[in-house]
Amino acid sequence: MEKNIITDKITGDKIIHAKHDSGLDIYICEMEGYSSVEALFGTKYGSVNTMFKMAQDKEYTVVPEGIAHFLEHKLFENEDCDVFELYAKTGASGNAFTSFDKTAYLFSCTKNYQESLKILLDFVQAPYFTQETVDKEQGIIGQEIQMTNDNPEWRVFFNMLRCMYHNHPVKIDIVGTIESIAQINADLLYKCYYTFYNLNNMVLSIAGNIKADEVLEICDKCLKPCEDKGLETVFPDEPESVVKSEITEKQPVGASIFNIGYKCKPESGKERLEKVMAASVAADILSDPSTEMYQKLLKEGIINSSFGTEVFTGDGYFTVIFSGESDSPDVIRDTVSDEIDRIIKEGIDEELFGRIKKSNYGGLIRELNNVEAVANLMMNSHMDGVGPYDTIEVLSKLKSSDVLDFMKNELRKDRRVMSVIERTV
Amino acid sequence: MKYNRTEISDKIGFSSVTDPKFKTNLLTVRFITSLDSKTVSANTLGVSILSDANSKFKTIAEMSKKLSSLYGAGISSFSKKRGDLQILGFTASWINGRYAFDGEDLDAEMAQITRDCLFSPNAENGEFDSEIFKIAKKDLLDRIDAELNNKRGYALSRAEELAFKGEPAEVSCTGKRENAEKVTPADAYRAYQNILKTSQIEIIYVSSEENNTLKEMFAEEFAKIERQPREYVFASKSPLKSDVETLSEELDVRQCKMVMTFKTDSDDKFAISMLSMIYGATPVSKLFMNVREKMSLCYYCASRFSAIKNVVAVDSGVEKSNIEKAKAEILNQLDEIIKGNITDEEMQSALLSLDNAYNSIGDTPSSYSNWYFERFCDGKIVTPQEHFKNYPEVTKARIIQAASSLKLDSIYYMLSKEAE
Repeated sequence: MEKNIITDKITGDKIIHAKHDSGLDIYICEMEGYSSVEALFGTKYGSVNTMFKMAQDKEYTVVPEGIAHFLEHKLFENEDCDVFELYAKTGASGNAFTSFDKTAYLFSCTKNYQESLKILLDFVQAPYFTQETVDKEQGIIGQEIQMTNDNPEWRVFFNMLRCMYHNHPVKIDIVGTIESIAQINADLLYKCYYTFYNLNNMVLSIAGNIKADEVLEICDKCLKPCEDKGLETVFPDEPESVVKSEITEKQPVGASIFNIGYKCKPESGKERLEKVMAASVAADILSDPSTEMYQKLLKEGIINSSFGTEVFTGDGYFTVIFSGESDSPDVIRDTVSDEIDRIIKEGIDEELFGRIKKSNYGGLIRELNNVEAVANLMMNSHMDGVGPYDTIEVLSKLKSSDVLDFMKNELRKDRRVMSVIERTV
Repeated sequence: MKYNRTEISDKIGFSSVTDPKFKTNLLTVRFITSLDSKTVSANTLGVSILSDANSKFKTIAEMSKKLSSLYGAGISSFSKKRGDLQILGFTASWINGRYAFDGEDLDAEMAQITRDCLFSPNAENGEFDSEIFKIAKKDLLDRIDAELNNKRGYALSRAEELAFKGEPAEVSCTGKRENAEKVTPADAYRAYQNILKTSQIEIIYVSSEENNTLKEMFAEEFAKIERQPREYVFASKSPLKSDVETLSEELDVRQCKMVMTFKTDSDDKFAISMLSMIYGATPVSKLFMNVREKMSLCYYCASRFSAIKNVVAVDSGVEKSNIEKAKAEILNQLDEIIKGNITDEEMQSALLSLDNAYNSIGDTPSSYSNWYFERFCDGKIVTPQEHFKNYPEVTKARIIQAASSLKLDSIYYMLSKEAE
């Protein structure tokens, strides 16, 4: 097993990375003085991975929308019991989530972490699906789909993605649809499981009140060696253009909400991280409360304190989103675009740029103050192909010209989409 | 970790929690006052405006500029409901000075900003600056309107309104739109001055190093105020309605919501807490395992106990056609507990879950702050571990007794408009 220590130059915090003989990447952060432990066992498999093959396969397999999330639900059931019942014996709080590009199984606890870690490693490596339990789950997930349809934040976001992406599966709902989950059966679940739940495609991230040696010893006992079968995922070609520029849906909400998104060119690895930092700082510059643009919108009552931004990215997609509550989202859309034009013409205010960098740096330090955040940081950075402390380094090297270039090349009116949920009450 | 509370003036406590592991500092000032529909909106505005600006940084823009230059330090305000009381708060958080690469004295900077926000706000001639006030008021009105955006949260707050009808706790912590609309900059300023004078105040500072500057600053500032603090009762049982009351609202939603509120006159809070864990507060609870997993009646179905009002609420997300079946099963599962159907595994799992939850308090600055504020309200300062020691003593008999004491008080339904 190869082991190396990654040190953060600013805080002195240390992370142990081990490449286990089974094929699994393991990240461990011992956090002195903390009582809790957060562990995540994740696979690089999410709702966007609907088309894939192994090196030995001739054809690509296409699976129904929502299957990664369905599989996550089903893996929580063992042959003889529910995984929650196992955690109930250790006191850990277990959970799982599926996002666009990953599925993770997690627990948090303050005692008996060794036992809980064994449970986590064992159940994720032991799938058990029958048609009967699959049928039952279709009912439960059907209810979850109905619930997400009542969630305006969810709707406004997916409506935006559907307007933005022609073919990329990021536009499909993570939970799928009633029709798509009806096509799922036990065989398909096993096929997806054995494709994506290969330890070479997975990562274990554990932080808090733990001992690295104990963690690695448990891994040695519980991990079953896996052969790397050369997984290939493929995404359909995606044009740079958007599908349509605007979408509005009416819902029984008290405040109308909006997402204004800019479709950008996707990147991977370190280039993605550099682009994310440039995009984050660009978005912060465009939404900073100290700017004239923000003040004008605020004083005119067009935005309120809910106005914010997000950089949303993964394999084959990259978007900068402005969101919030407003009855006049079109004014916000046009004002943000005018502000981008002005900055491109006049350049970036260096004082503002410096403050935003400082503020982002503070945010990264805060992240290292929290067991759960550290565990997530280690998993996410591994899946993104970068080191856990690379963000601070990339931020420190970021120049205002990088941000200006990003604005010029990526925040384009012809790649802009506005999604609105309009109130009916 | 070191905890120390001193009374810096009559009904003003200053607590410091020092834990070397933290990379950030957190200061929370909580003003405790009565919850009343007549004052709730002015109180909320009077405190929420404090974090927008002060006499030195007179606009949101200037304040934001200052805070981002201090490595993204944050200040914010809140208004919360705690039983029959309104808890108004001001928080400031910033990274530890050892990470400030330009060598700023962040503690001193943040102490000064806090001092100016609380004791020298942007106000003149007895009223807040009208421009800042207009923005804060619109924000409050938007928060009130947006409550409906989160259907589960909205259902819970409507259920509280129904369950606590006629009590102060029926009032929401933001107040009604029509009341908030009437508040003027002078009303909000008067409300804040009254809060400074009459509220009980608890200040909690969580940091990695001991520092008396903040305590001295607060002592000095409060000494200038002629205080007439009131006494508040921190917990009060909600009386049971003579008949179960229901409230239904129809909305264009796909999933219906049902919130059942039970009340009890039992004083055995540890037993009720254990009962709630076994009944519906964990993924191995009776409600989760039966109502959701075995019978697929609800997507979520969970119980929560509020020791402040002695109430157990069960909230669920349910299809319209399953509402009656779900309601019957939720009541049936409570009957199972009353009949003594509690396994040793259920007891053990509830205990382990509680142990886990209490032990993790202290891993974030805010968890310390909330813990010691709640213990102050309880009138007994103990550590989470000392508090937990009460649970292993709870017997099945005490849980059965607690379950028998629960009486259904009211049910709130959010119904979909679609045909069944």
